[in-house]
Order: sequence, then C-alpha cells, then structure tokens
Amino acid sequence: MEPATTISLHMSNVETIPGKTIRASLGLVTGSTVRAKHIGKDIFAGLKNIVGGELKAYTELLNESRNEAIQRMMMQAHSMGANGVVNVRFATSNVAAGASELFCYGTAVVVE
Amino acid sequence: MAESLGLIFGIVFGIIIPLSFPLLSWAMGRWYQGRLVEALDANEKAHGTILQSDRFSSTTKKMDNMTATSATLLHVSICVGPSVGQVVLMWFKGLFGGRLQSYDAVLDYGRREVLFRLKQQADSFGCTSIHNIRLETSVVSFAKNNKESRRSSVEFLAFATGIRQ
Repeated sequence: MEPATTISLHMSNVETIPGKTIRASLGLVTGSTVRAKHIGKDIFAGLKNIVGGELKAYTELLNESRNEAIQRMMMQAHSMGANGVVNVRFATSNVAAGASELFCYGTAVVVE
Repeated sequence: MAESLGLIFGIVFGIIIPLSFPLLSWAMGRWYQGRLVEALDANEKAHGTILQSDRFSSTTKKMDNMTATSATLLHVSICVGPSVGQVVLMWFKGLFGGRLQSYDAVLDYGRREVLFRLKQQADSFGCTSIHNIRLETSVVSFAKNNKESRRSSVEFLAFATGIRQ
C-alpha cells in the first residue's frame, strides 16, 4: 500500500534543520507500520541461514516498511500544515510472532 | 557380521549425519562471513576515508563553524544473523560461558557495514558531513512459531542528519 503522492519535507534528527530557521512548532507527529513476512522470502531466508551473514530479504523488507512509516509521519505533518520534522527517532519492536512493528516519531515544525 | 553392519549404520545415521550438517554449516558460515568482512575491509579502504574524520562525522548535535545550506535525514538498516551451525555450536559454548566468537564477529560485521552504508548514502545524497549518528540494535524475528525462533536475526539501524555545505 504505497501512498498515492509522495511528500518530501525537511527532516533531521537534531533540534534544528541546519540551514533553515524554525518559525513555529506544531507538536508530535508519528508514523507506524506492522509488517509480516512473505512466505517465499521466509523459505529463502531459511536457506540463507545456512551460511549466515546478511539476510537481504529481511533488510529489504525492513527498509520498505521504515520508508512507509516515515511517509505516514510526513503525511500527518503535512496535514497539520508543517513543512519540516525535527528530532526524528526510530523504534522497532516485535509485537507478535512473525510480525514486526516499525515506528517513527518527531516534532512537526514550520521552517523558512 | 549383521550386527557390526547395524552398528556402522547406527553410527552413520545416528551420529555422523546429524552432526555433519551443523559442522558443515558452521564451516561454510565462517568462510562466507570471512569473505564479507574482507570485502568490507576493501570497501572501507577504497571509499570510507572521505567521511572518517571528526569534522565530517560525529555523534554530537553541535555544529560549530559550519554553514549548512540544507540538511536531510539519513537512515540505513541491515539484518544479520549467524549461520545455523554457529548457533548450534554456540549453544555448546554457552554451557561453559565465555566469549562467543562467531556471534560477535557477525555483530561487528553488521555494525561496520551499516556505518559504511550510511556514508555511502550520505555521498549519494550529496552530503558533505554526517551529524548526530545514532545506532540502534533490535532483535527481529519473523518466525511463525517457537521452533523457528532461534532463526532470529539482529537488525542494526543507523540514522543521522546529513549536511550539505
């Protein structure tokens, strides 16, 4: 489920956005997604486990999911009238067997 | 004659075959992960030097004497895990305690690789320095049942603010 329009805002994980001035702070914005794994990738990752190392199927899955969480956070910020998000933090948790939640949050701001 | 044949079959199917898979997997894992580390060493030597100094990458929020034109959020994650054989042998090693060498080799590789990819991403976004680098570790398991849970892997996430000057 990719969002129809991709929004791009200024983002950083420090208190400011370097090179810009913050005019207003609009509060907390969050984005999260819960993903389970494709069964085909499951089998492939199982095979990859014979040698260990990087599990590319998982890496890709997590990257996709994290991008989606960020996209949701940006959509929320956008709907509040913000054009930037500062102090972005990420969190990952195992919510159920076979699924992982990726969560990100930050402060929506208006910058110039 | 028949008894000794039975004994040989017993040894082969009862001991050698069950043991040979973890050992083979352990050996292949060691070899494959050694290759990965070598490749990473070579990559770090070839491309990793640009952003190596304090001036260009830091874990602090302060950005003194820097005139940034724009900034962007960088984030990279990687999933790594030891091989099945390594997990089995680690279990035996765990009975005695001490350093679990194959596990910390894998984790060390993952952490270095994720930092290297962060630098690559910074380069591809045209950033000249990386600030406020944060590294997070979490156990990711997509196993559908308990039996598979030892197939869990470790995710390393690195995120930072990239600065364009």
